[in-house]
Amino acid sequence: MSFSGPGTLYTDNPAWRDVAPVSQHDEGANPMAPIMYTLEYKDATDYFRGILKTGEKSARVLELTEHIIRLNPAHYSIWQYRYETLLATNADLKAELLLMDDIATAHLKTYQVWHHRRLLLQQLRTPVPELVFIASILDIDTKNYHTWAYRQWLLGHFNDDGMWAGELPYAEEILSNDVRNNSAWHHRFFVVWASGVRKGDENREETLRRELNFTKSKISLAPNNDSAWNYLRGILNHTQTSFASLRDFVVPYTLPHFPISASTTVLDLENPLPSSTAKLPCPAALEFLAEIHEDERHEEGIKNAVLLYKQLAEEQDKTRKLYWEHRAREALKLAPEVTSI
Amino acid sequence: MLRHTPDDGFPTPTSRVQRETEEIISDSSSVTFTLNRKGHLSFIARALLQGFPKHYAYQDASQAWFMFWSLQGFSLLGAGLDPDNKQRAIDTILAAQHPDGGFGGGPHQAPHLLPTYASVCALSIVGRPGPRGGWDQINRKGLYAFFMSLKQPDGSFRVAKDAEVDIRGTYCLLAVATLLNLLTPTLVRGVPGFVRSCQTYEGGFASASQPYYTADFELLSEPRPPLGEAHGGYTSCALGSWLLLQPFVHGTDEPQIDVKDALRWLTKMQCGPMDLGGFRGRTNKLVDGCYSWWVGGCFALLEGLGAGAGVATPPPHDEASESNASEIDWYDFDDEMFNKTGLQEYILLAAQSPAGGLRDKPPKVADAYHTLYNLAGLSVAQHRVYSSPLRKYVIEQCWISQPQDDLSLDSSETPSQRDTRRRRIFVAAQSWTEDESPGVSRVLGDASNRVNATHPLFNLMVTHSRGIMDYFYGQTPAS
Repeated sequence: MSFSGPGTLYTDNPAWRDVAPVSQHDEGANPMAPIMYTLEYKDATDYFRGILKTGEKSARVLELTEHIIRLNPAHYSIWQYRYETLLATNADLKAELLLMDDIATAHLKTYQVWHHRRLLLQQLRTPVPELVFIASILDIDTKNYHTWAYRQWLLGHFNDDGMWAGELPYAEEILSNDVRNNSAWHHRFFVVWASGVRKGDENREETLRRELNFTKSKISLAPNNDSAWNYLRGILNHTQTSFASLRDFVVPYTLPHFPISASTTVLDLENPLPSSTAKLPCPAALEFLAEIHEDERHEEGIKNAVLLYKQLAEEQDKTRKLYWEHRAREALKLAPEVTSI
Repeated sequence: MLRHTPDDGFPTPTSRVQRETEEIISDSSSVTFTLNRKGHLSFIARALLQGFPKHYAYQDASQAWFMFWSLQGFSLLGAGLDPDNKQRAIDTILAAQHPDGGFGGGPHQAPHLLPTYASVCALSIVGRPGPRGGWDQINRKGLYAFFMSLKQPDGSFRVAKDAEVDIRGTYCLLAVATLLNLLTPTLVRGVPGFVRSCQTYEGGFASASQPYYTADFELLSEPRPPLGEAHGGYTSCALGSWLLLQPFVHGTDEPQIDVKDALRWLTKMQCGPMDLGGFRGRTNKLVDGCYSWWVGGCFALLEGLGAGAGVATPPPHDEASESNASEIDWYDFDDEMFNKTGLQEYILLAAQSPAGGLRDKPPKVADAYHTLYNLAGLSVAQHRVYSSPLRKYVIEQCWISQPQDDLSLDSSETPSQRDTRRRRIFVAAQSWTEDESPGVSRVLGDASNRVNATHPLFNLMVTHSRGIMDYFYGQTPAS
């Protein structure tokens, strides 16, 4: 058994006697910022440098690299050598993937863990169980960047209708757990808009209507949610739909109070209102309305836009005061005849 | 009375953790605006000179980064190493250079674009020409070959052999190639398209994009969806890359990135008063001190692209107008698009660890990475560093012709084209300078809180970037 593991150093292991360990630093070196490694880590990496020198690719190298990866999952050189060794030894990549399930759960935020899976998937071509695995990780760490980006890569790379079909429901489920999960909004955009037309979504007008209704309903639940507003703006820009077409929806969100009037007894699904507990006016709505006014281009429109930007700068979103003042100046350039507000 | 970020009476996990963070920050924050220079210098020096405890084995592949984070941290605080330790630093950095070219995370590690950036920047700080000086020992030909070996058909670069593609690699490569005079047309072919493809619907940039090809392996211009949401770190790398590509892109019909959307996204990343004006890295995520640099540093980059001047395209880049000093009027925009006071407040009141060093947020412990990027963020919040048309003019006039291809890197250019290209790259990078006009630098709290200005393209002192570039571009140092 050549796997040393904790307690048995490679230097004491007869199965490794034929390898000359190589120290990280040359004799006489006085490196800055040295790391005080454990004996276990130093021993294992000395032996890795030893087999690196000889170029050995064997089963015991797989054991050694697994050992080091467990001690330091960010050691990219080890991962790369392990990958070459897997291919050179015709290793069972399915077993490797299972081993990776174990390591990934412990080291979610490491690039190399996710990239190694990607390399394996490119060889194995079994993406469907991988989607399940990814979902299990996202269950624990709902915004893990590497995981979401990997899921998107997997979908785009295999580009299989069956795989795509489950994504909209999946994103929707994540958003129903947390409407503020920006990763899930981004994923929705990726699936519906950014990576081509999905099967069944060929009627783009219908797709747009569905997405607008979805987004508006989410905004009405919690208006101070930049994820939803950014998505809304994103789809309007992507489809070159005017912001003005959503004026009726936006206006109630620009008012200081929840609208109380007779007309609110009629439920308008196209224009869901903010809830009674929403904090209004919501800055993203004020900005949206200002842009509608700017697009009108005439003097009155520009004046209204500038007033809204000033409201944001001075009252509703003071953190971004300088930016809103910049937006007001930009708006004024569109109508030079407006000299003062 | 400071108000919490509203949850609209509809709490979710995101809003709950945001609320908790705001409470912790307001409970743990210091009340005095004092930069603990001594504490931070000790924190950095301790690691450099005594080393790290055993759990830092997790960072074994980031040793090159520790050199850069520490040395640049010192530079920002106005400190430097004595000659013996400088030499020790040079020797440590060079030990991580791979025999075939490129630097790894440590000795005997595979070459990788990120530690290559860290190592070359660290050598810019402590290195010099001549024997054992570090600069002449960089294997530039091997480095260029390493870069080309990582180049992908869609304009991206893997960060190392068989490793991941992402825009951090692009930025690190372009920054190093710029500093060492290795930036050629062949190297950058397709790169602008890749950078552009990483911009998301939110306006910020993602880690990478998905290329689609025709049956004949031609890259499709769409779809080219970004992989991962808009993120502060990747946005910094994308905008840095875009600026570094300007000598190749500007004045051509290469499509632009959407500067207005990028600006909007960046400003939206600044947190509200209960997070003291720090930056978050993604929509609806938490404040983190390192974004003080990754996001805060982007505003100067956008100024370099004329973000606020209201004009979509910069002025024509022909010989005549390039040297026209009256173009200063065109830049009516400054980098004051974010609340600089708020950022300084966050860094001074929340990001400083009482034991020395700086951190993500209270109650996390300080580390070398957060120490540097908080200090760099403090720098951008205090100073304005911009690309000066006047300096451009002066450098242009002093340019010493460099048409020779002594490393035989790229035969696609004529000598005259090579010289023009190198001049453009040199002038563009060297034109950045600190605005020392009265009232521009603003230091919150005592004047002793002042840190040095840093170059927005590299995160190096302007003097350090000038020094190494003067050497590798065969120019005489500026007087």
